[in-house]
Amino acid sequence: MSSHPTTPGARAHTYDAIVVGSGISGGWAAKELCEAGLRTLVLERGRDVQHQRDYPTALANPWDLPHRGRLPRALAQANPIANKCYAFDEATEHFFAKDAEHPYVQEKPFDWIRGYQVGGKSLTWARQTQRWSRHDFEGPARDGFAEWPITYDELAPWYSHVERFVGISGNRDGVEGLPDGEFLPAWEMNDAERSMAGRIEDAFPGRRVVQGRCAHLTEARPEHLAQGRGRCQSRNLCYRGCPFGGYFSSNSSTLPWAARTGNLTVRPGSVVESILHDDATGRASGVRVIDAATKAVTEYFAKVIFVNAACLNTNLILLNSRSRRYPAGLGNDHGLLGRHVAFHNYRGSLNASLEGFADSYYSGRRPTQPMMPNFRNVTRQETDFQRGYMVFFSASRRGWTRGQGAPGIGAAYKEELTLPGPWGIYMMMQGETIPRYENHVRLSTDQRDPFGIPQLVTSIGYTENDERMIRDFLAQGRAMLEAAGARDIRATDDRRNPGLDIHEMGGARMGRDPRTSLLNRWNQFHTCPNVFVTDGAAMASTGVQNPSLTFMALTARAARHAVEELRKGTL
Amino acid sequence: MNRRTLLRHAAQLGAAAALGSLPHRGWSALPRPDGWSAAEEALLDAIGETILPATPGSPGAGSVAIGRFILRMTADCHPPAAADAVRRLLGEVASRAQAAGARPFPELPAAEQERLLVALERQPPSARAGVAPWRHVKDLTLLGYFTAEAGATRALRYDPVPGAYRGSVPLRPGDRAWAT
Repeated sequence: MSSHPTTPGARAHTYDAIVVGSGISGGWAAKELCEAGLRTLVLERGRDVQHQRDYPTALANPWDLPHRGRLPRALAQANPIANKCYAFDEATEHFFAKDAEHPYVQEKPFDWIRGYQVGGKSLTWARQTQRWSRHDFEGPARDGFAEWPITYDELAPWYSHVERFVGISGNRDGVEGLPDGEFLPAWEMNDAERSMAGRIEDAFPGRRVVQGRCAHLTEARPEHLAQGRGRCQSRNLCYRGCPFGGYFSSNSSTLPWAARTGNLTVRPGSVVESILHDDATGRASGVRVIDAATKAVTEYFAKVIFVNAACLNTNLILLNSRSRRYPAGLGNDHGLLGRHVAFHNYRGSLNASLEGFADSYYSGRRPTQPMMPNFRNVTRQETDFQRGYMVFFSASRRGWTRGQGAPGIGAAYKEELTLPGPWGIYMMMQGETIPRYENHVRLSTDQRDPFGIPQLVTSIGYTENDERMIRDFLAQGRAMLEAAGARDIRATDDRRNPGLDIHEMGGARMGRDPRTSLLNRWNQFHTCPNVFVTDGAAMASTGVQNPSLTFMALTARAARHAVEELRKGTL
Repeated sequence: MNRRTLLRHAAQLGAAAALGSLPHRGWSALPRPDGWSAAEEALLDAIGETILPATPGSPGAGSVAIGRFILRMTADCHPPAAADAVRRLLGEVASRAQAAGARPFPELPAAEQERLLVALERQPPSARAGVAPWRHVKDLTLLGYFTAEAGATRALRYDPVPGAYRGSVPLRPGDRAWAT
């Protein structure tokens, strides 16, 4: 264990473990490390957000909000990037980093959506949670662009470990490409969706429509009640924070759980500037922190460091962790740090109408929707593009908004709008993108943020492979909607920028070979083994699934490994 | 579920503190924006009531302070051109009312008000670019009414805490749509 004399009272600043970031993966690192008895410091750059206490709009009725949820223009204009996010509105804006708070350089357009507070984006995530299958881990090597150092079978028990604690609803569908997990009861499909699912499966043998799997307690089991969480109330106001703990967040779950061990210290307002490397020991010794309020610089020390600052900020911290040993950033002997950044392709979507089901309705508000496991290139290359996509769709009856832009005045017009309208369908893709060397982030050489830290430059774009995948999805989506009996099908390529998917991954990828990757099979730096990266930055490929469940499973697995190595004295 | 039941459920989960700290900062508490008169607000109330009048079981848009809502939203959430659009619409309604009955629009009989606005809606949209006056006011009328307490709970059905999702519920004649 090294010491850094630069900070007076270093002993008081020394912990067993430091976790950088308190979002979905940082919360899991804190939980696992604290449970193992490690005195753990969680550093969060944003403000504190306490479960329940700091959800000011959680129970607001529409009429309680000054603009009924619509964003005031001044706020929208001040945040042209954050305002592109579907979840950013009057009731949720306090959980999104404002554009001016953290400038970055868009060499290519990238919409960077951030959550700077305790809990990070776990407060505002979309909560869809599917396991990867063996095809997702093996496919990148088959296609020759990356090699995962772990298999599905190695991660499967950690998926189970995480799922039981988080609480994941779903059906056991027996789909090889989307493995079943430890499920709470699934959400129901409505009558229109059930009909569509049957017609699509009949028309396209081999394709499956299953109900979405999500981190909502359809049933509160003892392990959830012990966290102080209760059953999801089907309010679908999740992005405001849930006072019932109906969905999983760091704030409602892992952080209070970790705190109960007595081993947790959370320090909000702590902007991590870099990781300190001790060239004598070949290990990281701690982190340098800038206080968000006073800008005072302090250092904290620990035997093991988990970097969970969210993909791009993790890359930024690692790139800025420059030492004599690592002049280009921690572990970056080959110039691959910040490279191979990928994301999810959401550009394609379809809208349609569906006749019939006039006497069928639903009650409550559901936090998920039917989905289709990837059916493209699963076991071998079949199309003119590589990899594949998942499909999500939902059917619902239109509400009063159908009156906007429609002619009508008076009692009959009003009465018609108070009844459930015709059925509408929305279908979207979630496509894998291939990590490319060219798609990267790096430090600006001349622009700094308000803390004096170099700004991040984003240079991430689509490729022809992505364009072909969009065309395929829009054609297949149309064909499936036609088979399902839909009318008025309208296909859209919204040409959104990368980043708005909020599924950015890579930059410090895992791999077997230290010459082509940063992290080993335990998410440790090949060359600096007491630093672990277990957020999106570690991903060698993106899969087609929503990624957070995999981040959590990787984190729990890596934390267990860190604890074992510490006990053996090998870290 | 009513608010009392909600409070009991929340208390069991320790969520009562969150409930108690909820700020009650309703839009109606917001003042009328600068540059608008009480008469203009009242004219918007009358236009709103004509678009969505009181019907058996639910009040009309005029009784949810729709004028204040339209002015507030126009000032806070829309570009400055939207305020000009509202002024143009109010001017047109006022002059049509004078032509029709030599009385201010709010004082016309309801049938006359409706006839006047139907004619206004049917006129071809102006070639002028930017915010379309009628569309702007009508859209905000619908938004303001159906998200107001009376609109959401009486014209529609509102359940703040459904407790569960049911995917197949028979729709009986007259069943209202969910507000959210």
